[in-house]
Amino acid sequence: MDEQAGPGVFFSNNHPAAGGAKGLGPLAEAAAAGDGAAAAGAARAQYSLPGILHFLQHEWARFEVERAQWEVERAELQAQIAFLQGERKGQENLKKDLVRRIKMLEYALKQERAKYHKLKYGTELNQGDMKPPSYDSDEGNETEVQPQQNSQLMWKQGRQLLRQYLQEVGYTDTILDVKSKRVRALLGFSSDVTDREDDKNQDSVINDSASVLDNFKFLESAAADFSDEDEDDDIDGREKSIIDTSTIVRKKVLPDSSEDRDTKEALKEFDFLVTSEEGDNDSRSAGDGTDWEKEDQCLIPEAWNVDQGVITKLKEQYKKERKGKKGVKRKTTEDLFQPLSYIKQSKQGYGRMKHQSTGPNRSKLQDMLANLRDVDELPSLQPSVGSPSRPSSSRLPEHEINRADEVEALTFPPSSGKSFIMGADEALESELGLGELAGLTVANEADSLTYDIANNKDALRKTWNPKFTLRSHFDGIRALAFHPTEPVLITASEDHTLKMWNLQKTAPAKKSTSLDVEPIYTFRAHKGPLLGHTDAVWGLAYSAAHQRLLSCSADGTLRLWNTTEVAPALSVFNDNQELGVPASVDLVSSDPSHMVASFSKGYTSIFNMETQQRILTLESNLDSTANSSCQINRVISHPTLPISITAHEDRHIKFYDNNTGKLIHSMVAHLEAVTSLAVDPNGLYLMSGSHDCSIRLWNLESKTCIQEFTFEESIHDVAFHPSKCYIASAGADALAKVFV
Amino acid sequence: MVMAEGTAVLRQNRPGAKQYIQQNIRADCSNIDKILEPPEGQDEGVWNYEHLRQFCLELDGLAVKLQSECHPDTSHKTPKECPAIDYTRHTLDGAACFLNSSKYFPSRVSIKESSVAKLGSVCRRIYRIFSHAYFYHWQIFDDYENEIFLYHQFTKFVMKYNLMSKDNLIVPILEEVQNSGSGESEA
Repeated sequence: MDEQAGPGVFFSNNHPAAGGAKGLGPLAEAAAAGDGAAAAGAARAQYSLPGILHFLQHEWARFEVERAQWEVERAELQAQIAFLQGERKGQENLKKDLVRRIKMLEYALKQERAKYHKLKYGTELNQGDMKPPSYDSDEGNETEVQPQQNSQLMWKQGRQLLRQYLQEVGYTDTILDVKSKRVRALLGFSSDVTDREDDKNQDSVINDSASVLDNFKFLESAAADFSDEDEDDDIDGREKSIIDTSTIVRKKVLPDSSEDRDTKEALKEFDFLVTSEEGDNDSRSAGDGTDWEKEDQCLIPEAWNVDQGVITKLKEQYKKERKGKKGVKRKTTEDLFQPLSYIKQSKQGYGRMKHQSTGPNRSKLQDMLANLRDVDELPSLQPSVGSPSRPSSSRLPEHEINRADEVEALTFPPSSGKSFIMGADEALESELGLGELAGLTVANEADSLTYDIANNKDALRKTWNPKFTLRSHFDGIRALAFHPTEPVLITASEDHTLKMWNLQKTAPAKKSTSLDVEPIYTFRAHKGPLLGHTDAVWGLAYSAAHQRLLSCSADGTLRLWNTTEVAPALSVFNDNQELGVPASVDLVSSDPSHMVASFSKGYTSIFNMETQQRILTLESNLDSTANSSCQINRVISHPTLPISITAHEDRHIKFYDNNTGKLIHSMVAHLEAVTSLAVDPNGLYLMSGSHDCSIRLWNLESKTCIQEFTFEESIHDVAFHPSKCYIASAGADALAKVFV
Repeated sequence: MVMAEGTAVLRQNRPGAKQYIQQNIRADCSNIDKILEPPEGQDEGVWNYEHLRQFCLELDGLAVKLQSECHPDTSHKTPKECPAIDYTRHTLDGAACFLNSSKYFPSRVSIKESSVAKLGSVCRRIYRIFSHAYFYHWQIFDDYENEIFLYHQFTKFVMKYNLMSKDNLIVPILEEVQNSGSGESEA
């Protein structure tokens, strides 16, 4: 930075270095040169250099945003690819395992038959090859049973039947299908739901599929023990969280009632085993069983004892396998179609899971999980093709909030008719505006009725969660106002600035739940256009329907203004004689010609603005000795009922009836003075902020506190958004927090 | 850095650094030494940080005054000066973002070393606002300075804590000049 250059030059030279890395050096100079050349032309006068700069900056910012978006997209697509590849690999592994298991089963069966035959007939049963199945054959070979020459008809038939059923069950077919679907998915074709023709009556299953999600929450705790026992070793990038969610997807625990045809048939198959060998039970000894076990290398941990208990257990295991396999298929279709429903339904399905989990015993779990873990997936909850939005509450690591959206410089003209009025410091012009903005109001009654059902439901929601922390002010924030319709918040601070915040575009945060929002625009002018008040303005109330603005000031007056002209106030209410300094003012929602004002001495009065008369003074419990604690900090009018609510220095919140002036209700709301109040547009909730660093949400019907937030510094203002679901609080620590 | 106890105490009930600075300024804004002198046990990084925040805050006032005068269509000597008001605004916005960002300054009672290094660059940019005001809008600069002595404060501040090199201080106001004779200049 060559600051040794002359003062006249240094701005253009130092543009590259300054201005927050905007990188406009060459552009600025080019623009400056161009502007210099055209300085004389009147037609070009409109192309001011600042305007050009602004435009260039906007374009640049936009490009940056787009580029960031592209990067994000690319990363997402790459993640998707990796995920699909992993899935495919997992599918193959699963298939291999299942095939292996079948072979083992067959081998075991063969052995058993051989033994039986030997024992029964004293001769060797010639079964062809008796070697243990090789484990690395592919799917075509699992049925390499050769027809037996010397066997009894029953055995032969039994064998054939077994084979037939296994094929009918269609392990290989299924796995092939799965594979082909995967490939199609990878290539981007949408998988057809009708591919599941071998999923018989799976409709009921679909509903339960999501319940699987939470089945696995249970299982993952069981799985935690098994991770060492996993025998599969060629899985890449396997992470615990991935497994958890993957197993959630994979497995489906059907209710025991809905077994499908396949399972039933296969299980019936085992029945014949039982019946045929019932008679021979006594001839077998336990010794054989143990002997058998050693040779048995299949995953069934129990011995192949032909007794009923084992059979049932095996049946169950088979059932589970079937379901597991079905879960595989389920995944491919639902994965593409309903990725997000899993999360939603998982919560409901969890309860159902609990009672089913007592069924399988530990070894079964072992098997299932060992099987399923072999499948390597990334979270199945990836976005389906082309769905760009996903809930920000997603838990998965891939979907951390990584929107590189940056704030675009909105030009939000403050002069738009239905927007906002800024409080103005009314110090005399010759003085330095070191005062504070104490009042800021946005009220658009015409728009406040656009409150749709969705918002209603949200308003009835019980808890608000912090979402944003707005940090840009140097000094405490005194007032807040929301835009009537847009998700925009304006904050006014003791550092003499107003900042406008766009609550929808947020800069990415690291991992905190609160996101930083950059202010869009900082308003610095403080010489208000409203002339008339001679001292600080404490409060404002605006009525869009009538184009009126009410202000109350430390000079003791309340003034009514017509917002279409800046001329002198329409009317002045001079009340510093008896009521003190008006600290807060509001328009009465139920009667447009009335306003309610509260004073520092503890009185609250309703005035008729047209007759300029004070209508009535709301009942207040004052005695001369308690004057200092009676200051009323805020008064608001209920949006629908003829009630005024006041916030007091003595920690109370009081409710008054506008017609009679009587005190309806009074409650101690906080530990210290109550500084601010806000009512939600529906009139159901009240929010109060206080010097005790907390804000509280109250149910207006029951007058009970339903939620409380605590901060580090005292709260100066609170606000509800008139049409969207936001609330905001302004603190003395220069932070504004937004809750959803 | 023996600031743990000091700042812990500061956090609780005693006024923080910010309040302390503002108090001193309000008491007497021409007593620059008092304003710049940190209280005992105050961490220097935090002190600098809080001072910078205060400078930005008060510079907003200058920017407001400037913006009435510094328009694109008022006649300047060269068109290159017109972006000055935008530069001022951008600098102040950028400084606000930077000083408030939780990434660089996660805590107000302890400052990271890496962020301390960046304070110097913020000072340089802010200095340019002063120098532009001095050279092109001298009257405004003078009035403002007589009121709150901001430039004097700032210059002494950067000198004291070595945030900028002396060569950068091009505004010819001697640091030794305490009183409001800010119009003196040495050729």
